[in-house]
Amino acid sequence: MIEKYSIYFSEVQKEAPRQLMLLSIISQGFVQPFSMEDNLLVLLTALTSGSGVGFNRAMLFLKDGDTLRGEMWLGPRSAQEAQNIWEVLSTPGIGYVEVIEYNRSLVSESQDTLSRRVRNLRYPLGGEALLIPALPARDKDILLVKDARNEPLVDPKFLEIIGVNDFVCIPLLARNEVFGEIILDNAFTGAPIAPMDIKLAVICALIAGNYIYSAALHKKLVDAEKMAALGEMAVFVTHQLRNPLATIGGFTEQLLQPDLDEEKKNRNLRIIRDETKRLEDVVYQIAHFLKVTLKEPVAFDVRPILESVIESPEIKIKVKRRGVRLNVRIAKCPPQVLCDPTYVGEVFRNVLENAIDATPAEGKISVLAYAKNEKIFVLSVKDTGRGIAEADKAKLFTPFFTTKEKGMGLGLPFVKRVMDACGGRIEVESREGKGTRFRLLFQCQERSATP
Amino acid sequence: MKKILLVEDELPLCLLYEEELSAEGYEVMSVHDADSALDALKNKTFDLIITDIRMPGKDGVELIGQIMGLRKDVPIIINTAYQSYKEDFMTWAADAYVVKSSSLAELKAKVRELVKD
Repeated sequence: MIEKYSIYFSEVQKEAPRQLMLLSIISQGFVQPFSMEDNLLVLLTALTSGSGVGFNRAMLFLKDGDTLRGEMWLGPRSAQEAQNIWEVLSTPGIGYVEVIEYNRSLVSESQDTLSRRVRNLRYPLGGEALLIPALPARDKDILLVKDARNEPLVDPKFLEIIGVNDFVCIPLLARNEVFGEIILDNAFTGAPIAPMDIKLAVICALIAGNYIYSAALHKKLVDAEKMAALGEMAVFVTHQLRNPLATIGGFTEQLLQPDLDEEKKNRNLRIIRDETKRLEDVVYQIAHFLKVTLKEPVAFDVRPILESVIESPEIKIKVKRRGVRLNVRIAKCPPQVLCDPTYVGEVFRNVLENAIDATPAEGKISVLAYAKNEKIFVLSVKDTGRGIAEADKAKLFTPFFTTKEKGMGLGLPFVKRVMDACGGRIEVESREGKGTRFRLLFQCQERSATP
Repeated sequence: MKKILLVEDELPLCLLYEEELSAEGYEVMSVHDADSALDALKNKTFDLIITDIRMPGKDGVELIGQIMGLRKDVPIIINTAYQSYKEDFMTWAADAYVVKSSSLAELKAKVRELVKD
């Protein structure tokens, strides 16, 4: 028997020790695909979750250059509102996502919330005679403030806003760098700030800090990778376009000269026509690559498709022109291979054409198709061609990367897209000057027990 | 007559540059890859080399390196579809870097500038 297990906020609150609850809120909150702002909200939620546990209110400052900037303040505005919120959050069936959603409304900019009161606060982190709240962030100190009214180190304007005498300031650290500060109080219960509460809050802040740091780092990496791939693509496309454009432009310029003879005029027009055709091909191929839409893979017998590629005039002419020998062995009863029937032929043709292009006259190309076991069907294309340079191996599947004079660099990226979509794999072995073997590993549908 | 060695694998462009530079009064010899260019340099002297970068076999960057090795005092213009090779240290050895375009004005101006009378 399988039972779906849901965790409800109110139940956890009742049963679990608060350490566990805080950790569970933090970890549950952080696995959601939230933004950085939402992650901070998760932290504040964890610290203010429910009556009797945690703090009543949590204020957040973020480091902005050399200043500390008020970002949000989570909590009720009055004792009455506090009661209402606690009631809402104790309702059975309320989960973490709902709590975060609810708290999001509490820090929303459009409403008259606590957050509004801190959003325009700015405290410089440099200079002399720093006061609280800037002090703890600068010195990376956790400060428990009691009787703030008689404490000269607390900024009077800040005291007016927070309106309580006891609060605790905890710097937010990521990799030992301060990126913000939280300030917690018990404005409505009036409960004293216990050492255990501070310890728990610090642990939560540490977890949150490291999580936020790694999330930001990950985003940076992904963005950088995307940009690099895009840049490489742009370089190749540029080349494919600039050469024909330069040719067309140059010969058109000649056509505009008054003394050009008839023969040259016609020649120039022919060149312009051919180069325009070439540009069209480039555009067509890019459009074709982009528009390929892959469907759910289905199980079918790939043998007829593979054979039709081998028998196709394009391949036959290519093999003959190149003067290579082609050996084909396709197993008699291939199992039900999972793939997109529209594209499997094109996938095979791409790999086979690459092998032919890379192989000199008298070279040998072997195509083997067989079931490795009940689950895997292998299509292997091996050549005795020039092989792939070590430096090029990493770029094989990058769109627009090509080592061919007339290639567009879209063949193998297409193959990879199709194979990825049907849960298959590509294995490449290559030695420069010796040859290359491409193996496409397809998944097979398992044979059902019923006849 | 001043002699130019043109290294360009795109045949229509080769034809275009040959005609246009001949019309400017230069003698143009064109080859389609780096090795042929090195052969030509062994047997003849030129007043200027114009080379593409992306070519089958050795690329233009490698060619420039080998020409420098020959210690021939000949100006070089890189004429390529790629803006990005400007960042390649070796291309700094060339005297000019022209990005292929539909107008030959820039290329012709650089040729005039670099071919000394």
